[in-house]
Amino acid sequence: MENYPFYKDNREFIKGLESHGELVTVQQEVDWDLEMGAIVRRVCEKKLPAPYFKKIKDYPGFEALGAPLATYSRLAIAMGMNPKASVPEISDEYVRRTTGNPIQPTLVDRKNAPCKEHILAGKDADLFKLPGPMVHDGDGGRYLATWHFVVARDPDTGAVNWGMYRQMVFDEKTMVGPVLPFSDMGKMFYGKYVPKNKPMPFATVIGCDPLSGVAACAPSPIPEDQFTGMLMGKPVELVKCETCDLEVPAHAEIVIEGEVIPNVWIEEAPFGEYTGYRTSPREPRTVYRIKAITYRNNPIITISNMGVPTDEGQLLRSFSLGLEMRKLLESQGIPITGVYMLPESTHHMVVVGVRPAYSNIATQIANLVFGSKLSPWFHMVIVVDEETDIYNKDDVIHALATKCHPIRGIRKYEHAVGTPLYPFADPDDRKWSRGAQVLFDCTFPLHWPKADLPIKVSFNKVYPKEIQEKVLKNWKNYGFKD
Amino acid sequence: MERKEYDTFILTDPGSIPEDQEVELIVRELTPPDRRYKYRSAYVSAMISKSESKYPDRLWVRLGRGQLQEKPWSIKILKELNKFT
Repeated sequence: MENYPFYKDNREFIKGLESHGELVTVQQEVDWDLEMGAIVRRVCEKKLPAPYFKKIKDYPGFEALGAPLATYSRLAIAMGMNPKASVPEISDEYVRRTTGNPIQPTLVDRKNAPCKEHILAGKDADLFKLPGPMVHDGDGGRYLATWHFVVARDPDTGAVNWGMYRQMVFDEKTMVGPVLPFSDMGKMFYGKYVPKNKPMPFATVIGCDPLSGVAACAPSPIPEDQFTGMLMGKPVELVKCETCDLEVPAHAEIVIEGEVIPNVWIEEAPFGEYTGYRTSPREPRTVYRIKAITYRNNPIITISNMGVPTDEGQLLRSFSLGLEMRKLLESQGIPITGVYMLPESTHHMVVVGVRPAYSNIATQIANLVFGSKLSPWFHMVIVVDEETDIYNKDDVIHALATKCHPIRGIRKYEHAVGTPLYPFADPDDRKWSRGAQVLFDCTFPLHWPKADLPIKVSFNKVYPKEIQEKVLKNWKNYGFKD
Repeated sequence: MERKEYDTFILTDPGSIPEDQEVELIVRELTPPDRRYKYRSAYVSAMISKSESKYPDRLWVRLGRGQLQEKPWSIKILKELNKFT
């Protein structure tokens, strides 16, 4: 087992962010009612350091960390890497760590679990005792859980799932949120608990260590508690819940325990969503009834503010979706050069680089990724050849606009699984999670005569090496700065 | 006594909402005595009117995507309904 540098909790991560200039400590009191959300939103849009709020109105003793992983630099810090590491470097490291044997978590005694420093049960377990923010004006309620994960266990296999399912506070004891039927928890709850009319135990973890959050975003087939261990290079420390047999990270800031209730629905939403719109309708959604709240001394809640790019939902989901696709395509022997999902596309658009070794390879790629469990979360695949830099948006747009034939280069996939969050979908498609997908094939056909192939006209392609070197050597002498 | 304020989300045409008869709806409390409970939701049975002055408390109306309507209505809450027992 290879140990990697990692932060065991949210507090160590805050210090790590500060030491790398990726944190702004806000000493002035801020209001949980829109002000904190507005600050985090502006931070995301301006790509600024994460705000660490020390005083929250009405909630003395509580603190908050906004936009904890909204930039690649903060993701690199979370992984113990150089904050200036490039996206390909972070990607390669992530794939290296998460390919191999899963690392089982370890269970610690509750006296060694800071998340048990305070326990509210019975009538005391009241959601309004926590500073759930009103994130955007017009939201359906206060979203206590925006950067968090929900723990649940499959009743048949015992498999554990950690997933980010947003949760709106309804009343003192009730939260509500969408659990889409094709999600891991949706399959568990609607496939196994609801038919037996049995409540499903859950635990919501807020303010976890950063790598547990990264794992909870990852659409990997490996259970997230083991996936976290792979990212850390050592087992993540868990502790038993107070009211059920689930386990949660011992160093989490806040844990909310309870049951997901079958055959009861409450209206949830609207909410400013990861697509950058308030799209999915207010409608009856899955109900969580709480039994206990446990938390650390001076707990620090974590806040993500979904909206126009870039927030951590877009960044991390794009990152991990793209890299799970990379693993899938590599496992099938497809000669790809890389996969990059653009966070600015709100994880709707993925770019796959390939060596076009045979005809219609782009279609094979699209069929594979659209046919996988990853597919409801994106709908555009752009396949480019190896002369396009998949990480360079300008290069990708150039390839899309010049190499993709407007008719035979575009292949439409109808009757796909979708989500209620797609802004382009009509209201009925949103209601029934129906989508559509499209492939943009930006490779030149292999049967074209070589002499007819267009030649890319760029500095690196159309000048002899010695001229390139001479120009680069003299660049500043010509009067250019960079 | 100062008027309490609530809001509600109307998912259909606001013009079709019946007035002056007992209706069931979800309201959010906007002016609770303890500010920590702001936006607490509840199913209630209530009388509502599009007139701002007819009933004791003010009711702000939002549409399905959160759009706040300019003029408030009024509401008289008859009882809170418990959906979980």
